[in-house]
Amino acid sequence: MNENLQRSVFCYIYSKIHQHLLFSSFSFGLFLPITLLLYWAVGFKRIKIQNAILLLASYFFYGLWDWRFLFLIVASSLVDYFAAIAITNTEEKSKQKHFLYSSILWNLGVLFLFKYYNFFIDEFALLFNMQQGEYAFSTLNLILPVGLSFYTFQTMSYTIDVYKKRIAPTRNLLNFLCFVSFFPQLVAGPIEKASDLLPQFNKKRAFNTEEVKDGLRQILWGLFKKMVIADNAARIVNTVYASPDDYGSLSLFYASVLFFFQIYGDFSGYSDIAIGTAKLFGFKLSKNFNIPYLAKSVTDFWQRWHITLTRWFNDYVYFPLIQKNLRNSTRRNLAIFITMGLIGLWHGADWTFIIFGVFQGVLIILERTPLTKDRKSTLFHKSSIPKFLVPFLTFTFITVSSILFRSQNIDEAGIVFKRIFSFIPSETIGSLINKRFLIFVFVMMLLEIITRNKDFPLTQIDKYINRPTRWIIYYIFIFLIFRYAGPKEDFIYFQF
Amino acid sequence: MPGPKKTLSIFSFSEAQLRFLKYCLVFFIPVVIAYFILELLVLNIPINYKVFGEYLDSNSQEIEIMGLGSSQMKCGFNPEFLNEKAINLSSTSQHHNEDFHILKGTKDRLPELKYVLMEVSYNHLELPHHNNDYWKNTIYLNYYGVNAFERHTWYKDRLVYLSNTNFYSYKLMEHYVHNSSTEKLNKYGFDSNNYEGDFKKLDYDEAKIASNKFKIITREDLTIFKKNTAYLFEMLDYAKAQNFKVIVCALPLYKTYLKERNPNIVRRRDSVLGVIKNKYSNVVLLNEETDTLNFTVNDFLNENHLNPDGAKKFTALVNSKLDSLN
Repeated sequence: MNENLQRSVFCYIYSKIHQHLLFSSFSFGLFLPITLLLYWAVGFKRIKIQNAILLLASYFFYGLWDWRFLFLIVASSLVDYFAAIAITNTEEKSKQKHFLYSSILWNLGVLFLFKYYNFFIDEFALLFNMQQGEYAFSTLNLILPVGLSFYTFQTMSYTIDVYKKRIAPTRNLLNFLCFVSFFPQLVAGPIEKASDLLPQFNKKRAFNTEEVKDGLRQILWGLFKKMVIADNAARIVNTVYASPDDYGSLSLFYASVLFFFQIYGDFSGYSDIAIGTAKLFGFKLSKNFNIPYLAKSVTDFWQRWHITLTRWFNDYVYFPLIQKNLRNSTRRNLAIFITMGLIGLWHGADWTFIIFGVFQGVLIILERTPLTKDRKSTLFHKSSIPKFLVPFLTFTFITVSSILFRSQNIDEAGIVFKRIFSFIPSETIGSLINKRFLIFVFVMMLLEIITRNKDFPLTQIDKYINRPTRWIIYYIFIFLIFRYAGPKEDFIYFQF
Repeated sequence: MPGPKKTLSIFSFSEAQLRFLKYCLVFFIPVVIAYFILELLVLNIPINYKVFGEYLDSNSQEIEIMGLGSSQMKCGFNPEFLNEKAINLSSTSQHHNEDFHILKGTKDRLPELKYVLMEVSYNHLELPHHNNDYWKNTIYLNYYGVNAFERHTWYKDRLVYLSNTNFYSYKLMEHYVHNSSTEKLNKYGFDSNNYEGDFKKLDYDEAKIASNKFKIITREDLTIFKKNTAYLFEMLDYAKAQNFKVIVCALPLYKTYLKERNPNIVRRRDSVLGVIKNKYSNVVLLNEETDTLNFTVNDFLNENHLNPDGAKKFTALVNSKLDSLN
């Protein structure tokens, strides 16, 4: 085949499939089985071939967003791969530090350039009341590479762990590239620790029918949460937030509550699909959500919501900041404040996210502050608030702070807050209430609460339900997804 | 424990894997069959888009006028009452970007096309282009032969039921189970029985209508306004280059709706209309938005849509505008 023909065939194929491989898309429904068939069919031969297939599939998956992003992910992977090896190859502490800081500088630099640079330049100009052209730096026309915050944190933690001697560096480049780009969790986590995920690329994966079935069930559950809960909630939330001036207090509060379920269905649904997909390939990923709407405090909420992010910030920001001075409440509170502010900033370059994080931090500090002299009572612990009210109160705090998360900017958040607390009548709220959708939300919550000790409601149901009944349950879920899926929305966390 | 391997030519699967593959096939085949049955059933429902498409195909050599726009244009323009052959390809929530795709995608098939009706209603210029109705790209592709996806399409993009399962499930029930559709589409795809709106429910009683709650968007968005205005000018430049005469329409609104409009949005829209009038010699305006003399309560479906009686009147105004252009 001559070169031109080859190129045109490649361009044709690329243009045909050039669309995002969203987990809830038809294209992903084709991509996944093809990759799986290839992966398992050659699996018995060599683990290297399996990993090579995974790497190609992951780069293909990622390149469909924008092939130029591939250079960045490869560069980031190589920087951390070689930095980790360099750290272990030298005994000199100063040199080790030098390699560690180089890696951190690269990772944070990339993150800053693509995600935060424009924000800081704009805010700097605003602070000094400068117009475009009056300052040396101008904003850049850069697209934020999808999943940048996720894989940057993953690679950065690898180098830090190697430096801290928590793990040994891998010398297998293929495995390391796979670890950074593993497509089920590449664009929106769970953010895995190298000590958990990397060794899985080194060992042989045996096809385990039970695990694969469980993976499929988790994907089905994730799709239900994403397509039926999140996408339908999005329809109402987007309508209200598109024009908050036109809605009363109750409508805005209702939309904000729904936004919680939208983002929960969206992100936890994504995580379920990611974890389920990884199971199909014989991998185990970390649990990312644990029924956050049952949280008994804001601290508890963050141990149930985006667990792997909280874990990351705990390990690499909070604990290094307090440096074992847990009893020093000032230092601890400052560490909480900074950590939560950074968690907010991690979500996006906007004041809404920063204030969201800081607000969470303040709430956590408040609920940890002793209310009595004997220091035994705090806001949610042994306080006068009845126990059964505590989850509702926590949920209200989270819902109110999520207004910041949803608003496009501070002005919009201000409008929403102002209107909610002005108690403006909501005459059109009836048009926002979809009974069927609320039943789905209730069913989701009920199933999750009943099966709260399991990873997800459908897990291992073959142990207590016979095959025909199981199949009927699966068909019902497939029907619900087809029939009641909301308008297709991108996964919210892709933008982070 | 994985079973012994079976060697095929290139790949090989263990027995456990093969057993699982069979299990999957048996499970998914009924799903695929059920889906294609639904797809076939949906394709047989006589929805207006299908009628538009058929009319477009069978009259392509004679069509001189094309109507584009949102639900207001869809409800307010009935080609049946025009002197020349026309087609109304407007639909609910259709915005200028879709209009432009349709115009560009069909003009080569319409050798006689001379006039285009474009809608610039109250908040058209401050509403974002891409809304949740992008599922209609499948409609445009299947029925009009227009690719509005802004990318290459493939087989999946033609699956109608999959494009909006919610909408088509409702249509399936309405058509095959309840047989409850009140639509009476004429050969142009216009629903001449489209009276079942809020105003009919309120017996066209002006006092009741005055206290009726309705949804109106009053949010201003200057960024979207600038973007949409530039896009509109791009469309008009294109129409000029193609020698099309354009009637820019603002359809009638009921007085309660007129009262609730955001004056800033109206002012900005009107200033754009003014610029268009001065800048484009091929464009005429038909701004009937505040025409409360010709259009009375009985002409409305609800606060911002005409019923077929109102459409008859509005189409007559289009007709006289066309006459003035000739």
